Amino acid sequence: MTRITDDVIIRTVARILIPFIQLYALYVIMHGHHSPGGGFQGGVILGASFILYLLTHGLEETKIRMSEIKAGLFSSFGLLIYSGIGLLCLILGSNYLDYGKLSTILKVMPAQARSLGILGVEIGVGIAVMAVMFSIFFDISTGGELPEDEQNKRGAR
Amino acid sequence: MSNFFLYLGIGLFTLVLFCLYRGTFGPGVLNRIAGICAIGTKTLVILLLMGFIYNRVEMFVDISMVYALLNFIGTITAAKYLEMRGEV
Repeated sequence: MTRITDDVIIRTVARILIPFIQLYALYVIMHGHHSPGGGFQGGVILGASFILYLLTHGLEETKIRMSEIKAGLFSSFGLLIYSGIGLLCLILGSNYLDYGKLSTILKVMPAQARSLGILGVEIGVGIAVMAVMFSIFFDISTGGELPEDEQNKRGAR
Repeated sequence: MSNFFLYLGIGLFTLVLFCLYRGTFGPGVLNRIAGICAIGTKTLVILLLMGFIYNRVEMFVDISMVYALLNFIGTITAAKYLEMRGEV
């Protein structure tokens, strides 16, 4: 599943289409609070673009842009944004993820602070879901065994 | 005008049933992939017609675009899986 395809049509179509998919995913994440979508759905679309890249361009080229280690870091970073905003609200003296208190830091009205807070949470969720979706597909398609692991084993022997 | 879109949607739905027959009983794997891909395309148009019926086109355009993108990726994945197993 992760071999490179030698079909030039699929490679070209994927190369043209992937930036638009990612732009659309960012739109879905940003407009999550007044249209269908949100952090999870936008993250799934963003992960689907990386899955399309892995399907068409093979494992070696994908590792330059997104590897297993980077996916793990991104998922932890997204979770950090989510829980960080929640804990910031907790520190400022209100409930967990109660964004109204963020107005004291952001110097805006409480209603605007709620809008910005839910936007930050959605960005965090989007990054985490993108990384986890890519990581699941990566693990399933390689069977959990990466080529460099075998090389390391040979080197150890 | 709403009835027009409704009848158009019902007509497309009957066409989906024919594609579903080809996808279920179709001889060979390639016919099934083509049938499922055609179902995805018709579903996209049916979603837009639903948007016209409920007067919320701007919401259903988003959903149908996501459906089109995921349908494309799904078809490529199925084709690649068959190529890997050597059935084509």
